[in-house]
Amino acid sequence: MGGQKNVIRNQKGDEYIVPPGGSLGLLALGSVGVRAWKKAKKEWEDSQNQQVEKK
Amino acid sequence: MKKNKVLVVGWDSADWKIIDKLMANGLMPAIKSIVDNGVRGKLATIDPPLSPMLWTSMATGVRPFDHGVLGFVEPDGQGGVRPVSSYSRKVKAIWNMLSIEGYKSNIVGWWPSNPVESINGCMISNLFHQEKVGKEIVEIADWKIPEGSVYPERLIEKVKDLRVHPYEITGNLIMPFVPQAVALDQKQDKRLNVIAKLLAHATTVHATATELMTTEPWDFMAVYHDAMDHFSHAFMKYHPPQMKGITDEAFNLFKDVVIGAYIYHDMMLDRMLKLVDDDTTVMVISDHGFHSDHLRPTHVPQVPSGPAIEHAPYGVIAIKGPGIKKGESIYGSSILDITPTILSLFDMPIGRDMVGKPLVDIYEKEKKINYIDSWENKKESGGEIVIPKEQDTDLNDTALQQLIDLGYIDDLNAPHQDAENYLKGIINENNFYLAKSYATAGKYEEALEILLEIENKEKPDFRILIEAINCAVKTKRFKLAEEYLNFVRKNKLMNAGYIDVLESKVQLGLNRPDNAYKLLQSALKENPDAIEILLDMGRLLNNMRDSKGAIQSFERIIKKDPENPYAYHGIGMAYLQQGEYEDAISYFLDAIDRLYHYPLAHFHLGEAFALMKMYDPAIKSFEVVETMTQNIPKVYRWLLDLYEIIENQEKIEHYRKLVSYFRRGQRKIITGLATEKVEKYIEDICSSGSTVSGYESHLYDITFNVSQANWLDDLSSEYVYVPLNYLPSLNGLNSYQIYFIEDSVEEAMNYSHKINRIRANSIDLSLLADLDKQITVANSWISQQPNIDLIRI
Repeated sequence: MGGQKNVIRNQKGDEYIVPPGGSLGLLALGSVGVRAWKKAKKEWEDSQNQQVEKK
Repeated sequence: MKKNKVLVVGWDSADWKIIDKLMANGLMPAIKSIVDNGVRGKLATIDPPLSPMLWTSMATGVRPFDHGVLGFVEPDGQGGVRPVSSYSRKVKAIWNMLSIEGYKSNIVGWWPSNPVESINGCMISNLFHQEKVGKEIVEIADWKIPEGSVYPERLIEKVKDLRVHPYEITGNLIMPFVPQAVALDQKQDKRLNVIAKLLAHATTVHATATELMTTEPWDFMAVYHDAMDHFSHAFMKYHPPQMKGITDEAFNLFKDVVIGAYIYHDMMLDRMLKLVDDDTTVMVISDHGFHSDHLRPTHVPQVPSGPAIEHAPYGVIAIKGPGIKKGESIYGSSILDITPTILSLFDMPIGRDMVGKPLVDIYEKEKKINYIDSWENKKESGGEIVIPKEQDTDLNDTALQQLIDLGYIDDLNAPHQDAENYLKGIINENNFYLAKSYATAGKYEEALEILLEIENKEKPDFRILIEAINCAVKTKRFKLAEEYLNFVRKNKLMNAGYIDVLESKVQLGLNRPDNAYKLLQSALKENPDAIEILLDMGRLLNNMRDSKGAIQSFERIIKKDPENPYAYHGIGMAYLQQGEYEDAISYFLDAIDRLYHYPLAHFHLGEAFALMKMYDPAIKSFEVVETMTQNIPKVYRWLLDLYEIIENQEKIEHYRKLVSYFRRGQRKIITGLATEKVEKYIEDICSSGSTVSGYESHLYDITFNVSQANWLDDLSSEYVYVPLNYLPSLNGLNSYQIYFIEDSVEEAMNYSHKINRIRANSIDLSLLADLDKQITVANSWISQQPNIDLIRI
């Protein structure tokens, strides 16, 4: 993953790291979850691409 | 002032049998919270159980022949076909009615809702998430928002990033459905792709809905998910217990998919519940159920809409909110009741032209219901269809392909198809559904007219022929029914056993129960455990007053399907006819316990109570029938009689009016075993100047056929002679003064010998037994009727 971690907060303020592979719990959050997942996935894909380019 | 909101979540094909098990294990906490804090019930579907027709009935309160959505596809007006669309709907939907009254609605995914309508609120259509072009899945980068799928257009920016493409679904997301997914050869086995697609669709619908819920103002929000139905069609065969023919390997791999789908829907529901406040009424509904146990079919017919055989007749309804009862069950709900109920939640009037009724039992306090003649009389439309600038043929092809994949429609590209015939076939198919919709509503004449038009003997379709035979029997056109039956038999269009069953219905209609019995016996030889045939046999034996045989037949059904309400009702009928009312009551209650929306069971329960002189429960039972159907006018006669007994003047007046509305007047009937005494009595009446019909032909009883339509009306004389064994064929619309000429069975035998020129004094034991039985049956029937004055002579 990239330098900044993707996190999602619940109502109590607890933070959860968004896995780039997603989870059903995340998708079930609806628009908030889908956006967070897509962001995390994109960042992870970008970082993978950068690593490939470096090699 | 804060306004109450209503959230409706539609889960296509959700079934309590699965939900109850999962709730008991703590796996569906969201729906459980609605059930615990609200009401729950079974939601009766209507035939044919095809989703676009059903969800439109739910959104309009009327049947398909009134709302116009008649299947999965429709002609596109340019010689082709397209997926069924908003263009087909002929009446206002709930969102139009709410718009007219100034309420804001957000509608997501409703089937069919493409193209969207310019309602007061937002609409995302059922084609918003299509990711294929024809048979090919488009790449994520090329995935466009389909024309006509979003209203207002400004929303596109807001929701475009919320669509989830099947290619985005990862192993993490698949694993909860198929824990051993890695063991599958994914190049060969496409079942994981199906899960990915359905999961992507459900997630898109949910993400879009939650976005609208949180960012757009709304009073009414309706979200429809088709995924549960598609998951079930694809994977219910692997659901425990393991079905015959499913390998251990496949069972172990896919046994959790349906459970996973239910749990995921509950997780999405949980999120929605967190996004609404306590003033919001939440309603979860499904259009039909899905067989998940021993009732799962082992074979799906390869005909359009064949997969619907897997649908169960009852969906779910669960509602919680302010003013809604808590922790209770409601009974007798149908999918037609959804729109009237939503209208009642908004204190809006219900159209008298709606077939459904508001579910007033959900309310803690009595709810005042207002009516208007019809929402169609309102000048405002409440939203017009937003016609796309361009016809999106790709989108249509895609949606059609999905229906082909699901087995709901034929493939145009199949080798035997050409465009013109395909279109003709689609129109015929929709007309077939239209006919079925009429038949379900008891409009057999209308149904038969359509069936006769679409039936084509050069390309026979057994479904159309079966329906035509059934409707011909119901409309008493027995010659026509026999003609079709002969055609079916000659061309071997069906399994011989099933043809026998159909023919038995015709024979029964022709009042030839012995022939019907032989045919059902032969059908049972071929299909000894067929529940439908056993039901027909039990009912026939009840008609023939063979109570013992009837009970045996119904008990065989109960052994196979202990939850079959019709079998319990049948046994109750056998006891009722024998005058064993306590046993009858017990079985009728068993039937009602399994299926509350069963007007005949309530009616017969009422009769059993009335015959036991238990007037209060009898009245209650008949009044339940009254709320369920208007097709049993005899119920008003019973209620009139019962209120006369308990001397309730107000009710007497009410039911007297109803009885006189239905009553065709009183008829004088002469009956009795055919004897010289009867002959003499009729001669005396005639010589006194009165007229008697039916006497010449019926007394000798050679060709008499009570099954002809309106046979009693055709006999317009002052008196009508009706042979004793045909008394139970008298309808409930008249009241009768019956002159029962009593004589011995020996005299009747002698008279029969005289007519048939058999030597006098010869004894026919079987005839004697038959005559004896006729007397017993007639006496039992007379004693159980509310509309008869009896004079014994």
